[in-house]
Amino acid sequence: MATNENCVVCQIASGRVPSKKVYEDELALAVLDVNGANPGHCFIIPKNHYPIIEQVPDMEVARLFQVSNKISTAIFESLGAQGTNIFVANGIPAGQTVAHFIINVIPRKENDGINLQWQPRQLSEEEMSTVELKLKDQSKNIGNFEKEKKAPRLSAPKPVALSDDEEEYFERQLRRLP
Amino acid sequence: MAEQINPDQLKELQEKIKRMSPEELKEFQKKQCIFCQIISGKIQARKIYEDEKVTAVLDINPANPGHILLLTKEHYSIMPQIPDDDVAHIFIVAKSLSNSMLRGIDAHGTNLIVANGIAAGQRAQHFIVHIIPRKENDGVNFVLPQKTIEQNELELIGDKIKAALSGVPEKEEKEPIMPILPKKQPEQKIAEQKTSAKITETSKGSPEKSGIDLDDIAKLLGAK
Repeated sequence: MATNENCVVCQIASGRVPSKKVYEDELALAVLDVNGANPGHCFIIPKNHYPIIEQVPDMEVARLFQVSNKISTAIFESLGAQGTNIFVANGIPAGQTVAHFIINVIPRKENDGINLQWQPRQLSEEEMSTVELKLKDQSKNIGNFEKEKKAPRLSAPKPVALSDDEEEYFERQLRRLP
Repeated sequence: MAEQINPDQLKELQEKIKRMSPEELKEFQKKQCIFCQIISGKIQARKIYEDEKVTAVLDINPANPGHILLLTKEHYSIMPQIPDDDVAHIFIVAKSLSNSMLRGIDAHGTNLIVANGIAAGQRAQHFIVHIIPRKENDGVNFVLPQKTIEQNELELIGDKIKAALSGVPEKEEKEPIMPILPKKQPEQKIAEQKTSAKITETSKGSPEKSGIDLDDIAKLLGAK
């Protein structure tokens, strides 16, 4: 397991910091948040230390969200929730507060005071077209993971890996956290 | 223009819906769903990515420029209805799209948000992963409140969730939880269960029909 001894989430995963676990397997762990947005708020974490989702291998991304979905279903069934949110903050500007990738699963009831809404913006056609072209261009290699799976001998460059610069930028940014 | 539905037509409609097979029901939901029409191309959208299972389009009223809606091609209302394999695929694509934002439009972070149910802020009756590019001080604010949850309450809740998790073997059919849909008759619940089990078989071919004209019903609802 690639863990980081300074990371409080890794310490929860290893058991050094006590927590109420609701699910555990070889890759993932789900625990109740003691300072949850609502009672029953769980966070699902990879046991390996990854600051942001871009660093989490596809297989672990798959497992983590499958576990999140099961927890969300269990929350509906066992806590009488009227809804659930799956929420990820990836990077400090997105509201990430610990340098370990976390999926929040939050039980919801009407008027519970949680606000995950946004102010809808109206962009010009030109702005929309510009952003569309840029994102399309970056996304044209998505799906190679499927081909890689089917033909593992073809060692195509992994399309979703961050460049070293970007990775350093994020790690630097996240390291600044207390 | 939507036609006015008179009480007789409404009754007839409700009867028809009751008699529908799971496949027909699914087809019916699809007809009413704006996102299914985006996926089929009936409604135009700016597509960023597409494969056999998902379509990613730009939100026309974004939180930030580049805000993507990642949609399942199959019509699901909420995430608990989605089979495990598809959940895996959806979020691997979501990760890649998040990466596209960091690289392509100079985003400094991203949020992934799913809302299951109206109480959670869901507005459309189609499962959506919102992928929102973020920058410092961009005016978007997703700060979760922090409540203090007592240790004994935590234990109690944790045990309840654990029990619900362990009482559900991998493929067991459960009562679907659909808080966002109107209360329905038991037949319909059964219908939904069957549908989710049959997805892989029916998604490739055209759904079987048993003599109920869907266009007819759609017309009654003013879809065309």
